[in-house]
Amino acid sequence: MNTNHPLLASLADEPPPFPDSHPQLQRLDRSVLCTICKEIFRAPVTVTCGHTFCSECIRSSLSVMTDKKCPLCHATITEGSIRRNRAMEEVTEAWETARDSLITLSQPVAGPSRRRPPPEPNSKSSSSTSANLKRPRRSDESRSQSPNKISKKSTDHVDHVVSSDSEEEEQVQEISENDEGECPLCSARMAIASIPMHIERGCPPVSKKKSAPGNQKADWRKVFSMAGSTKEKNVSMKRITSPNYHLATPTDLRNILNEYSLPTVGDKPALEARVRQWIILFNSNLDTEHPKSLSALRAKLNAEEISKKRDKERGRDEAVENLKTTEGFAEHVRNSGAEFERLRKEIMERDAKRAKAAKGLEASSAIEVD
Amino acid sequence: MAALPKRILKETERLMSDAPPGISAAPNNDNLRHFDVTVAGPDQSPYEGGVFKLELFLPDEYPMNPPKVRFLTRIYHPNIDKLGRICLDILKDKWSPALQIRTVLLSIQALLGAPNPDDPLANDVAQNWKEDEKAAIAQAKEWTRLYANGE
Repeated sequence: MNTNHPLLASLADEPPPFPDSHPQLQRLDRSVLCTICKEIFRAPVTVTCGHTFCSECIRSSLSVMTDKKCPLCHATITEGSIRRNRAMEEVTEAWETARDSLITLSQPVAGPSRRRPPPEPNSKSSSSTSANLKRPRRSDESRSQSPNKISKKSTDHVDHVVSSDSEEEEQVQEISENDEGECPLCSARMAIASIPMHIERGCPPVSKKKSAPGNQKADWRKVFSMAGSTKEKNVSMKRITSPNYHLATPTDLRNILNEYSLPTVGDKPALEARVRQWIILFNSNLDTEHPKSLSALRAKLNAEEISKKRDKERGRDEAVENLKTTEGFAEHVRNSGAEFERLRKEIMERDAKRAKAAKGLEASSAIEVD
Repeated sequence: MAALPKRILKETERLMSDAPPGISAAPNNDNLRHFDVTVAGPDQSPYEGGVFKLELFLPDEYPMNPPKVRFLTRIYHPNIDKLGRICLDILKDKWSPALQIRTVLLSIQALLGAPNPDDPLANDVAQNWKEDEKAAIAQAKEWTRLYANGE
């Protein structure tokens, strides 16, 4: 067995598994894995029968199935029945943050350091230095934003998704300041941002109640103009319903792609594939607390398309190249020679039979021929 | 070479480090989606003692679409034709992305232990199997000895 296979090297930066001495933790570890991608749930969703998958996994698997069934129990399901599973997302995140410390605790106390000794020198170093007990994904984001979480939830997710990551936090801050809060002294309600000024002035009665929403409106405009300045269109963050691909014209498909600033090159099959893949990516991105920016999604779509194309061309080139070499051709002949011979014989026999039958027919009913 | 999904890497690693009994599978060095597989004939079946070579290919859409599997060793079996194609529901309409290479190969091994002449792929073999099971089993044993001797 080839244990030095390049495959194994690329798996080295996997998080270490739990030791066999803790089967219950191993089981817990497995229970937050998606059965389709075998990785920890990303944007978990639940279907009618109650099984949970990553949103992207189940959406893309439904898109290729002719009769749509749950991958685990074969119950009939539809894409419309997919529901976001917030509890599972919370559990997954909590598990991810707790996992490393649990691994440390589950290790038999032998070495002098209580810290988990990294199994490979370079395996986990990046994550353990940047955030000592967190796994790389979502690491800082989820923590640093947690104080704002309530206000963030109360506001819309629209701008949150549209903006690129760096702006995202600023905007979240801004919006939370525009939310209404109570003055700690006179308990009048007003925009949180204006509370300090209000107290400084000695708590004058809040007469301009209407100014707050007006203010908010202006701020929203600012948010959107900012979004515009980063070349993002004002994209609606609603699920895309798939068009009827049989009836859709290339122009229809191009319109959809245009709406999300995606490339519109290619023939109808190419456009259709792109729209399909985009809908999967876009819709599953709406099933999570931590959606990616649209530009990240676009980059992903593009990367997938390129790799698919390369694979296709590669396969074809290889087959043709193989035939060009004498050994390749000889092998092809060896492999398919017998089959070819059989087919040739079959056709010959068929032709002979047909000729015979035709002759017989002619002889018996020469009159009817014309 | 396009990036392989993590899932394929993980499956490969597990297949190579902890293969199911009687089954081995290793990827080609130049195409990691292409596996050379051997399956040992199950005990108490006409294929007992035989070592069957198969090829397995993971299409781009895997795991959304099933892997493509084919016998390279000749075998006398009602659900496997002379080109090595296999009639197995999970390789076709019953495929589910929750299945994996390991489960597919185990199913194929199970198919060797339980031929199903009522859902044939090789009609002549199935016919023999139904008409004279003893003779068919003897034939299968003979073919196993001739072709699946692991050489």
